[in-house]
Amino acid sequence: MSAVTATDHHDHDHANHHELSPMQQLRANRLAIWLFCFSEIFLFGALLMARFYLWGNTRPELDQNLGLFTTVMLLVSSYFMVRAEVAVAKGDTKKFERSLIVTFVLGLLFLLGVVLFEWGLMANPFGHHEALKPTDGAYGAMFFAMTGMHAFHVLTGLFFISVVYRNGKMGWYDEKNHWGVEACAIYWHFVDVVWVFFYPALYLIGTVVH
Amino acid sequence: MAENGNAYRTIFIIFLVLGALTVGEFFVAAAYPSAFFLMAIALAKSVLIVYFFMHVYRLWRPEDHH
Repeated sequence: MSAVTATDHHDHDHANHHELSPMQQLRANRLAIWLFCFSEIFLFGALLMARFYLWGNTRPELDQNLGLFTTVMLLVSSYFMVRAEVAVAKGDTKKFERSLIVTFVLGLLFLLGVVLFEWGLMANPFGHHEALKPTDGAYGAMFFAMTGMHAFHVLTGLFFISVVYRNGKMGWYDEKNHWGVEACAIYWHFVDVVWVFFYPALYLIGTVVH
Repeated sequence: MAENGNAYRTIFIIFLVLGALTVGEFFVAAAYPSAFFLMAIALAKSVLIVYFFMHVYRLWRPEDHH
């Protein structure tokens, strides 16, 4: 029994000895989320490579106006996300909350633009192109794989933003401690970076195949 | 970089550059749809986002304030 107690004490001391300072913890957190983003590059990179392998220098006919609209929505949302991060670092709670709401709304517009209109679930207000279907061979398969995987990440990002907004409302963040906001911002910008490559790959590169 | 007093101005300028590159690639694609050129523009945009919006330099900065 006494041996067990001694072991417990030893483990406790060992744990205390290796306890990270707040600065070390923050650096570990940052490294972790960047490693997560790095691992995601392989997933999206594989999709991008598959697109170039299967489509070559061609692409399906997609609505250019809708593509540009959704791209601009995501880009502007990224701006408001970094604006929210700067605001919380400066202690400007109102600007932080407003920027986060705008980020969420723009992200939702992007998601609805892709899922409702580009996927053909609703009539496209930007044009009258016939929507691509997942069964339309390599074009349909790659288009839905790329936009579907990306849309899923946008959806989880929107959930992340709503959690951060709720935590901000509860006063969890201040000028010194706002790791949750920073992590959310890094994830959201990563989703934007993926679309930076997906947009030209889907909408701009290659000749249109009717 | 973005933590100083000009943080809002810096991110707004980067946002304008990103917007110009996005609109630019839309029109460039119509005139000269080169995969290499369009991917180069995408790479330039991603570098701007990773550095100025995601603050990748914080990974190797020894000190931080929050």
